[in-house]
Formats: sequence, C-alpha cells, structure tokens
Amino acid sequence: MGDVSILSVGIDIGTATSQIVLARLVLANAAGCFEIPRVAFKDKTVLHNGVVRLTPLSPSGLLDGDALRKIAEDEYRAAGVSANDVDVGAVIATGEAARKENAAIILESLAGMAGDFVVAMAGPDLEAVLAGRGSGAERASRLNGSAVVNLDVGGGTANIALFKDGAVLSKGSYDIGGRMVRVSGGVISHVSDGAARIAKTAGISAVPGMAADLRLLRDVCDHAARLLEEALEDKTPSPLLASLVSPGASVFRASLPIDGICFSGGVAECMRQGQGDYFRYGDVGPLLGEAISRTRLCSAFRRLAPAETVRATAVGAGCYSAEVSGSTIAQDDRALPLKNLPVLKLNRDEQTRCYEGDSAFLEEKIRGFMAQNGWIWPALAFRGEANPSYARLNALAACLSEALAKTLPPDAPFVLVLECDTAKALGQALRARRGGGAVVCVDSARVETGDYIDLGRPLMGGAALPIVVKTLVTGC
Amino acid sequence: MISDMAGLEKTIAEVIKEYLSGGAAAWAGKNGRPAADAPDRGGAVLRDITGQAAREAEFVSGALDREAILAMKRRTSARIGIGRAGPRLLTQTMLTLRADHAAARDAVLKDVDPDMLRSLGFIELESRCADRQEFLTRPDLGRALSDGAVDALLEKCVPNPDIQVFVADGLSSSAVTANLPDLWPCLMDGLHEAGVKTGTPFFVRFGRVALMDQVSELLGAKAVCALIGERPGLSAAESLSAYVAYGAKTGMDESGRTVVSNIHGNGIPAVEAGAYLAELLQAVLRAKASGIAFRKDDGL
Repeated sequence: MGDVSILSVGIDIGTATSQIVLARLVLANAAGCFEIPRVAFKDKTVLHNGVVRLTPLSPSGLLDGDALRKIAEDEYRAAGVSANDVDVGAVIATGEAARKENAAIILESLAGMAGDFVVAMAGPDLEAVLAGRGSGAERASRLNGSAVVNLDVGGGTANIALFKDGAVLSKGSYDIGGRMVRVSGGVISHVSDGAARIAKTAGISAVPGMAADLRLLRDVCDHAARLLEEALEDKTPSPLLASLVSPGASVFRASLPIDGICFSGGVAECMRQGQGDYFRYGDVGPLLGEAISRTRLCSAFRRLAPAETVRATAVGAGCYSAEVSGSTIAQDDRALPLKNLPVLKLNRDEQTRCYEGDSAFLEEKIRGFMAQNGWIWPALAFRGEANPSYARLNALAACLSEALAKTLPPDAPFVLVLECDTAKALGQALRARRGGGAVVCVDSARVETGDYIDLGRPLMGGAALPIVVKTLVTGC
Repeated sequence: MISDMAGLEKTIAEVIKEYLSGGAAAWAGKNGRPAADAPDRGGAVLRDITGQAAREAEFVSGALDREAILAMKRRTSARIGIGRAGPRLLTQTMLTLRADHAAARDAVLKDVDPDMLRSLGFIELESRCADRQEFLTRPDLGRALSDGAVDALLEKCVPNPDIQVFVADGLSSSAVTANLPDLWPCLMDGLHEAGVKTGTPFFVRFGRVALMDQVSELLGAKAVCALIGERPGLSAAESLSAYVAYGAKTGMDESGRTVVSNIHGNGIPAVEAGAYLAELLQAVLRAKASGIAFRKDDGL
C-alpha cells in the first residue's frame, strides 16, 4: 500500500490573536505484509505557519467576518494551496471569539475554506488538549512515560491539560488571560468579569478609567498567577477559582504527581521575550507572564521548552485534530463524509444489554437522546467486546438494527463507533439486516456522549477513515 | 506417542480431584489472589498461571516506578520486568513458562475437535501422512492428499467454485478449534451476501499450506483459501493463518500467496478476520491475482 497524504488546516481564533496553520499529514500502512493493514500517521509536517494576527474583534465582541475570511484567503495564498485541497481541519474559537453570535459569523465567513469539513468549533477542553499536543507536552510525556502539564495562557483563557504517557488524564480551562485587563494611553480601558472578581477578592480596586498603575496591575496578575498555581494542586478549588472555570470546560484535577510543565500561548511568548514595555500589547499579557514566572509553577516542576508558544493551539488543531480509524471497518461511499454527528455512548451495562438483544431498551435510549438533541440522529458508540462469538455478534447486530430502524429516519446511515477491533464483522452483520441502507461502522476510536464527530472520505482504498472528534459544536 | 488421549485426560481429572479433596488451599500460593474467572471448587481455588493477570503479578521487586513497568509489560507479550532469583528465573515465572510451553506442545500434538468440525458440516480428509510423527518429519507428505482423500474430494465436493475455502490443522489444532466456530460462519455469510459461489467445506488432517495447490487443480477453483493453524510460540498457541492463492497450481511460487496471520483472541478477533477475509477474497477474485501480484489497495 502506498503512502497517502492529506492536507489539514488548523485555525485558532482567540480573544487576542488568530493564527492559521496548514499541515501535511502522511498516512501509511504500518503493518507487516503478512498482517491485516494498519493505517497510521507516519509523518506530520507543518507546511505553512501563518502570521500571528490580531483577531478582528469589534469593541462589542463581535467578529468581523469579512476580515476573518480575508485572513484565511491570504494565508492560503501565502501557502500556495486552494480551499479545495484541504481535507480535514478544525477551527478553535475561544474566549470572546467563542460567543454564540460569533459561531454563525465564523461558519459563514469560512464556508468553503475548510474543504469537505464543516468548520468545527472546538470547546475549551479540546483546545487545552490540542495546545498541549502542539506545544510538545504530549510528546514529552509519551517519550519519557512522565506526567506533563501544559499550561496554555492566551488572551482570554488559560487552558490546562495533563498528559501521562501520551494520554490525556485531565483538562480544564479558566477565564484568566493576558487581555483580562486592557490598557490604552496609560489608562485601564477594560476589565474582564474574571479579572474584576480576582481584584475584588484581593481587595484591589481596578476599574476602567483608572490610571494603569504598574504596581496595582502587577498585584492583580500575581493573584491571577497564584490561582493557576492553585489549579495544579490536587485539592478542592477555592470559590474564586471555581467561579473562573470557563463555560463548557471541565474542572481540571492534577490526579498524580507532575514531573514537568510546559507553557504555551501568547503569555508564554511574553515570558520568552523577557522584559520590555509592559503595555506593549495594550494588555497585561507581559505582566501576567512575569507573575507566572514568580510562582511555584516555575520552581516546583521541571520546565520543558515548548516547541510552539503562541501557535501551539493552531499547530495542535492542524496536526492533531484528525485521527484515523481502525483499518478493518465497514464504510459506505454514499454516506461519507458525515459531519457534526452527536455521539450517544452506551456504558458497559447498556452495551451488555444490547449484546443480549434488548432492543426495546436501546430504542428508548436513542429516542430520548434524539428528543434532547433537536431530533438529530446520533452516532451510536460503545466499547464493544474484544473477541465475541459470531452468535453474540449477530444478537448485537439484530438488536442495533431493530432499534436504529425504528428511531432513525429511513435514509439515515447507521453509524457505529467502537473501541474494540470488531467493526468490519459488525458492519457486515448489520448490512445483511439492512437491505440497501448505508452502514458505517468504525473501531479503534474513543468518543464520549457530548462529543460530535466528523467522518471523512475513506483513505487508502477504503481501509480506514479520518475522524475528527469535537467536544462542542455551536450553531451548526 | 500417546495413543489413548481420553484415558489420559480421565486419569488427570482423577488426580486433580484427589488433590483438591486433600485441602488444596495451599495451591493458591501465598500471595496469589484467585483469578476472577477461577472455577469455584468448594472453597479451594486453582489459579490460572497463564493469563494476563498472572503475567502482571510476576514482578521485579523494588520497582521505582511500578506503573511504568506495568505499562511496558502490557505492550508486549515478552516476559519483561519479571525479576530474578540470583541468575535464575523466579519459581512463578518458571511455572508460567512451562505452562505456556505445555499449551504450545498440546497445540501441535492434539487433534482438532471432531464434533466441532461435524457441527459446521465439514467433510474430513487426510494428507499422505500416516501419523503425527510422520507429519512433523515429512513436510512433503503433508502437501498432498492421500489417494482416498483425492477420491472423496472429487466425489463429494462441488466442482469449479469461485472460491474453495478449506481448513487444515497445520501446526496448531488448538488454533482451529478456538477460531473456526466464529470465523467460519462470518466468512461464509460475507461471501454469500456478495453472491460468491463457495465450494464444499472440508478439513484436512496433517495438512500443510501447499496442499491448496493440489486442491485448486482437482476442483478447478478460481481461488483457494486455506485456514491453517500457525506454529505455536510461548505467547500464542491458538493463532490461525489464512493463505489465499488465485489460480494456484502445484509448484507455484510462495510469493504468489497472500497471507493473513495472527488470528486469535489477542490478535485479530475471529469474527473480524472472517469479515476481512470475505472482502479480501472478493478483491482477489476481482483482481484475478494474489501474493505480490495483488495490491491490497487495488481492491480493498
């Protein structure tokens, strides 16, 4: 089997800055010639590292769609690619840019710019993970079998992910960032809700219109940095820290001793730059960076040099948002690509009931899920059993087939996502029961209820599919 | 060679029964927790010393990072991080090694379960080997059917199928017994769903891979697929392989065969292998080629 390369785009629209990264992902058959094919990423190369630009955000917090589209067009031109060449990708919008009204603007302005795939908005959890992959924290944890935290501090949010041996153990996001206080002409021009709460708790008065006093703002940043320090301690968070958890984010927990820490994001770039005019960016980013340098975050853990700072999220989105399914799967060209399918995941007990043929239960479960999700039909996910008998597999197929046929629209494909390597056999058994309807059944993919997935066009003669798992889709 | 297998098994069962009735609590070992699936024998417990749990329990003492070693152990079936007693293996490791070796020997020396073959509707044939000893020492005789088997094949099997799939014990009867009941119906359903004409199923005792060449010529099959037990190792005694050849004939190059190996509980699950082979065989028919002349991405 020859290698296949796909073009992936990562677009990071943050509160302060936006970047676009184009990456070439090479897929190859990693199995020996006497084995069933195993399609895996062989190489990931950043083709084009876009300029770090200010996010075109109006004072009211709304994105300028035209300006955004122009940024994307300029970067594609600079990279020498056309939108049609792009196979997969993700748009990460965070902080102010992630407001609900902005989702529609992003979708509209970037329509047709991200290839087959609908622009996918990732939530703060996924951003934290992608930043950790882009910064190299995940790689460091994988190579050394160690526990590495990535702290990505941007304009609006601080995203934390804990990796152990390459796996994500915990992730979270807090409304702490370089642009929580903005400064213009020596005067404080904006104080975010989060910054206002931090200042209030610390007994500091900082409101728009006040002079931008260095000592006062340094004090606010010191308190903010100590909250990040607190987030990494394995204990119940203070009410203030709990109130700063970003909307839609998980609560981070450092569940095991941390071996190393890696800083990314715009504030990490400020830390790298060192001293200068503190208000050179019209915000407290450099001050916050300096405050972080003074905390235990920088003395208690081994500090790892990031591969990327301000672009970590964009590189992560470009290189790591697409995964590849197992290589023995059932797919149907007529049904692919599929976009933004909500995931309904069965737990172990529910899965067992399905293997035992309880289709009435499953039917109710699917109908309940669809009722809560605007009657959009889901991708049904479960772990699966590792080595089922053919009889048990058929009982499962009969149960799934009956429940799905009764709940899904007649023309909707059956979409199943398993972890255990039995997707091709289950797909075959489902196809036999479905007549001509489409069945897409993939394995070696881990998803959870609440996730959304995109399934791309088949790769390598249909051996595998690209999968993008998203934690949040807004306005799609 | 052991001739009276049933008699031997009865004797062993009696010895175990006697042992257990004699208060076998000590059998569980001093730090041995019973395996989750250990059979209940009235309070006494027989610990499975070959499973994954047993592998993880064998452990180098005084590990600095126990989790890291466990993670490494889970990634390989090699016996790493097992500790030592002076220059030698620990008793537990030694016992597990011998148990695995015994399973490997069993796989080679035992017969495939005849009831299972009959329940799947297999005709039973044999190669030119007179007994197992000859099978192990004369590979050439394992590559051809006996005269009686040739007659039976011509008499009972449908001629000119698109695909003739057959099963041979090869070097692991355990692999056939363990995987065939789930692989076979999945493979047949997949082929029949696609409208492929398959031959009459049969099993060859003391059979080797190249026997498929003679089968292909005798039956005039477009393609042949042989499911054969792989030579067992100390980590997998139940591994099955599928060899596929398009237009096979006696004396063909080995490079003309397409192989799918590692079909077993910890490798490719039997049902998944069945579904994969169903598609592979259709692709081989479409490409009219196998082995190095067949590119998997052409048809799959």
